[in-house]
Amino acid sequence: MTQERHEPAPEVSGALMRGLTQRRMSRRNLIKLGGATVGTISFASILAACGGGGSTGTGGSTENVDFGAAAGDKVNFANWPLYIDSAKDADGNRYHPSLQEFTDKTGIEVNYQDVINSNDSFFGKLLPQLQAGQDTGWDIIVITNGREFTNLTLNNWVTELDPALRPNFDANAATWAKDPEYDPGNKHSMAWQSGLTGIGYNTEKVNGTITKMDDLMNPDLVGTNSVGMLKQDMPDVVMINLGITPTESTPDDWREAAAWIQKLKDSGTVRTFYDQGYIDDLNAGNLSATMAWSGDVLYYKLWEDYPYEFVVPDGGALLWIDNMMIPANSANPQGAYQLMDWVYQPEIADMITEWVAYMSPVPAVQDLIAQHAKTEKDPATAKALAGMAESTLLWPDEELLAVTPFGTNLTTDEEREEWDSIFLPLSES
Amino acid sequence: MSSAEERTGTAVVETVETLGEPPKRADQVLAKRQRRVAYGLLAPGSIYLALAFVVPLIIVVITSLQSGGLLSGGYHFTWEFSNYTDAFSQYKAFYAKSLVYSGIATILCIALAYPMMYWIAFYAGRWKSTLFFLILIPFFVSFVIRTVQWKFILADDGLLLGPLKNIGVLPESFHVLATPTAVIAGITYNFLPFTALPLYVALERIDKRLVEAAKDLYASKFQAFRRVVLPLSFPGIFAAIILTFVPATGDYVNSSVLGSAKTTMIGQIIQTKFLTEFAYPEAAALSVILMIGMLILALIYARLLGTEDAALAAGTAG
Repeated sequence: MTQERHEPAPEVSGALMRGLTQRRMSRRNLIKLGGATVGTISFASILAACGGGGSTGTGGSTENVDFGAAAGDKVNFANWPLYIDSAKDADGNRYHPSLQEFTDKTGIEVNYQDVINSNDSFFGKLLPQLQAGQDTGWDIIVITNGREFTNLTLNNWVTELDPALRPNFDANAATWAKDPEYDPGNKHSMAWQSGLTGIGYNTEKVNGTITKMDDLMNPDLVGTNSVGMLKQDMPDVVMINLGITPTESTPDDWREAAAWIQKLKDSGTVRTFYDQGYIDDLNAGNLSATMAWSGDVLYYKLWEDYPYEFVVPDGGALLWIDNMMIPANSANPQGAYQLMDWVYQPEIADMITEWVAYMSPVPAVQDLIAQHAKTEKDPATAKALAGMAESTLLWPDEELLAVTPFGTNLTTDEEREEWDSIFLPLSES
Repeated sequence: MSSAEERTGTAVVETVETLGEPPKRADQVLAKRQRRVAYGLLAPGSIYLALAFVVPLIIVVITSLQSGGLLSGGYHFTWEFSNYTDAFSQYKAFYAKSLVYSGIATILCIALAYPMMYWIAFYAGRWKSTLFFLILIPFFVSFVIRTVQWKFILADDGLLLGPLKNIGVLPESFHVLATPTAVIAGITYNFLPFTALPLYVALERIDKRLVEAAKDLYASKFQAFRRVVLPLSFPGIFAAIILTFVPATGDYVNSSVLGSAKTTMIGQIIQTKFLTEFAYPEAAALSVILMIGMLILALIYARLLGTEDAALAAGTAG
């Protein structure tokens, strides 16, 4: 139902870009209403997951898929809501032009479904099939680098990709999207879109400007009870700003970050710790400053004229990537892989990114958007496209990338237990 | 009598029945038949409960005794009782907080619902059903949506507090959201129908002539209420408290929507363990502890108040 609310207007007009950026916001905020819903939906699958009882072994596939074999005629693609280009045909049916071109070219039909509302609940749903070594029903899933991603790769629950068969990716992928630390050699994954976690603030509620994380614990600057934090991204962003590289961090570093968070809590500025939905509290005036996803804040700043700023704190921000992967025992890995490479053609990537306004893993898209801005007749859309083409947050340069590392990658149960025991009590009490 | 003997017995009776044998056995035949009907009536519900409640419960208990992790080959059943001790010692403060919140909310629910239901049951006349329905109407809207609406109403600069701050009644820094008050208010609001329904049923069926009789015997209005109506409604209050307090303790929506990090309830911890950390055994152990704790509290409560109330009510009625 939340999706319905954000359905784009059927016509392509000046209001288009407004819809576009909102799409980006919605994708992250979609379950802000639905804590309960998500819980309910997933409970059955969790029981099923536990139903394995004694031995829930790893059902992953260790055999390599032959990507040279003929592709099946259908690809089942699970993605986040409002995370792809969309249009209506003459009959009023919704379709995705970028995928339609793929079907026209290859004859492979794409069943695209926006069923992923959060990494954890979606992973929870697939877990029983993955553990049982069954087909999950999906040929492509999109998962953010992090705990679920690592669960999938380390258990062989996703298919190993053949590096020789992705010419578009090799030719066009951004340096930051190639060979990421969490998946060396893109052995299992290819970026779909990406974004940053930094600080967003309301200039009318903050006395001055915010430039660093320590500003969040200054009540003279941000007031009391008015700072929001993001539970999942917080440890990494704090570590980055303490000069710690998350991917090389140790439990001592985690405790240092936890100590900083405790100091922040003691300062009296924090209102609460969010899973999602912080943007609503920012809009309602409940927050003066908050850890934020760049796109949420930029949308309200650029399109709704809210007095917002998004900053990469002087110590840096967190870079995250949503990755396309092929679940183990997929019915059509060859078709899926063709599609994953297909979206790395600049003109196709352009279609997608103009709609979703995320960081595209294809840098050539920047020029295409700039060109489109020049030829676009509608002034509002042209301005929006030009703004997108110029945004440093969408096209990170070397300087920005140097201060926006990936988050911690926990690869053992013991590490995770230690991490949780350090950070969960902080955000929950 | 063992079940085998019983079965044989039944067979004999059936044979006898078909032969149309002596009427002295007729009573027993009838009793057997009635029993069969009773079992037949019980079966659908029992099967449903077994599948939908007992089986999942057993799975949860089994899960709570597993150890392992998703990165070390999954979870395995190992009689890992330390899940319980670890979970309880680490999160006992959240159990306590949940009990306090739901306890206060239950008291508020009773305080709000009782007078309302009393009035409807005794004075609303032909509007009874309509009024009662009006109270339930908001609850036809999704639980989560309603709670989120409260966020808009209670926002720091929102519908309620915004104007009050503008005219200077409240200081600029005053807020309700992200406080225990907001969470308790949310629980009270959301669980009110669970309190109202049993109270209404109990109050509605009280014979109004008893109140008149009390007044004829020179009882004041208050005495009539205290000595007649209140005791007769005790079973309703008893049910209302159980139906409100038990689910409210495990609630996690109100705190996550209206609360802050400081208002975290045990339901949220269980949710995070299950859905975010995939720490199924620990989450299951936390759930079992919550369930057993509530069961013990309910039994103590029933023992202390339930039977006495029932006896009292019966005694007064008789």
